[in-house]
Amino acid sequence: MATVTAPRQQTAAERAAELNVLVRKQRSLWQDAWYRLVRNRAAVLGMVIVVAFMALAAIVPFMTQWGWLKDPLKQDTPNSLMEPIWTGSKYTLSTYPLGSDQLGRDILSRLIWSTQISMLVGFVPVTIIFLMGVTIGLVAGYYGGWTDQLLMRLTDVIYAFPDLLFLFIIMATLRNTAIGDLQGGLLLIFVAIAIVNWVGMARLVRGQVLALKEREFVEAARAIGAPARRIMSRHLFPNILAPVIVSVAFSIPTAMLAEATLSFFGIGIKPPTPSWGVMINEGFVVFSTSAWPVLLPALCISIVMLAFTFLGDGVRDALDPRMKI
Amino acid sequence: MLKYTIRRLLLLIPTMFFVAVIVFFLAHAAPGSPFDAKSVGDKQLPTATIERLENLYGVNKPVPEQFMLYLGNVARFDFGNSFRSGRAVSEIIGEEFPVSAQLGVQALLLALALSLPLGMVSALRQNTAVDYGSLFFATVGTTIPSFVIAIFAIYFFGVTFHLLPFVGWSTPLHWVLPTVILSLGPMAFLTRITRASMLEAIRQDYVRTARAKGLREQVVIVAHVMKNALIPIATIVGPATAGLITGSIIIEGIFSVPGMGREFLRSILGRDYPLIMGVFLLYAFLISIANLSVDLVYGLLDPRIKVSK
Repeated sequence: MATVTAPRQQTAAERAAELNVLVRKQRSLWQDAWYRLVRNRAAVLGMVIVVAFMALAAIVPFMTQWGWLKDPLKQDTPNSLMEPIWTGSKYTLSTYPLGSDQLGRDILSRLIWSTQISMLVGFVPVTIIFLMGVTIGLVAGYYGGWTDQLLMRLTDVIYAFPDLLFLFIIMATLRNTAIGDLQGGLLLIFVAIAIVNWVGMARLVRGQVLALKEREFVEAARAIGAPARRIMSRHLFPNILAPVIVSVAFSIPTAMLAEATLSFFGIGIKPPTPSWGVMINEGFVVFSTSAWPVLLPALCISIVMLAFTFLGDGVRDALDPRMKI
Repeated sequence: MLKYTIRRLLLLIPTMFFVAVIVFFLAHAAPGSPFDAKSVGDKQLPTATIERLENLYGVNKPVPEQFMLYLGNVARFDFGNSFRSGRAVSEIIGEEFPVSAQLGVQALLLALALSLPLGMVSALRQNTAVDYGSLFFATVGTTIPSFVIAIFAIYFFGVTFHLLPFVGWSTPLHWVLPTVILSLGPMAFLTRITRASMLEAIRQDYVRTARAKGLREQVVIVAHVMKNALIPIATIVGPATAGLITGSIIIEGIFSVPGMGREFLRSILGRDYPLIMGVFLLYAFLISIANLSVDLVYGLLDPRIKVSK
């Protein structure tokens, strides 16, 4: 029996050759967005800084292992509160390039170790938020019904709380429980940030789905009998991805800032684990006499925040050139 | 309009109820007693004393029962007594709320007073040095967290040059740093919104019409552009208020301002349940009211929007 095969579709390049005309090389929407992103100088600067911090976070355990960096926890009280070497004061030591804190711990090493905490706090909860928000938002938007009702009532309540207040309460009450002790409090921070923020993501996705599900391409997919799961994963999901990516890009620095703020008030990461917030918290006691142990981590936070904002702005402009604020 | 307002006000009751449920059970979820050494931050009290205290404040009852008791008291406007000081929560809040309110209002006014002109000028002089300067300020102001800015400000104005005091709230000079730093975030945000919304309004057809019929530029800008550009700005004041409330917790903590924010920090660290509940309910109420009033003002400003849903 002869099999019937559909004629293979011509690519644009073949068609152009046939007609003997020149066409521009085809680019996908994502390639377009990427080109717009790399043409944005501020975004590229942000990207470079972010990648550099991520690389530092990845290799810092080896740096300590190979002896390039001091142990961030090792105390050396006779040499406490050394100043950075460029200050030229007599309280400097060449072995402490950025000085030491009041327990004589190396600030350079602690700063670099902190990038690891920051990057983890930036990316892990945001992954949870992404997975939960997108799944629940898709289901609520597509099916409506009780999932949708529940989601909307939940958002009403969560919106009456300022995020930070909620985080403060969760951290203050649960940090002395078993879960609060895991990984120096890191795990609880992941969970707390995810709980407070997934609702916003779900609401964003739901809104997008509501707008898209009446469009013709979704109707067409339904008409040829595509199951709901396929419509959601193949038709709706790719089309809501742009605003979701923008939201993710801004969630990362928000999560990092939350950790820094909580740690600064002493209810985030548990000392002695170094994090920029913890360093500021510990250094604040001696701030008026020696400021470097506080100023340096504060500077790091500022740089990372600016880098992520530049990158996030660039991603937003690249994905949606019409949207400009 | 009146019906809508009443409906929204009534909706506040279930919202506040759920806020109360969540915070109450969350606060009580912590293990141990609020009178442990860990919570008091002091020496361990004798077991008998702890038991007596727990009996006195009823914290050894099952949590749902405690919650019902609390609700009953709140319905009679009795918010209980602070575990720490023994004073009535309403009395403590009554003392501290004016300080926080003053800080918040000062910051909001400062933010509005500077951001509106800055945003407008930068929209009218788009792509000039003024515009780039204000955009840069807006980016930095929204990006760098207030406690980091506070640290740099304390370092320069307080520690290095001794220009301004940075602990407490006793004289108007003490107000300067907390107010300015608290206002920076909303200020930067409002500048961005003002600029964007002015730019949007300038390109509208009715502005072209106004110019075409020969109106003076000032009249076009004031009567046509600004009037319409202010609508989106008005809606931002709600979220900005919420931002000021959370921001004031951080600022009050850093500058030791004797307001509700500092009290909130102390109460959650010391597990002072009645105080946590009182402060949190007041915050949630204020934020809901801010959001509600924005929705109402929005309806008044823009006749195209109907709020009767």
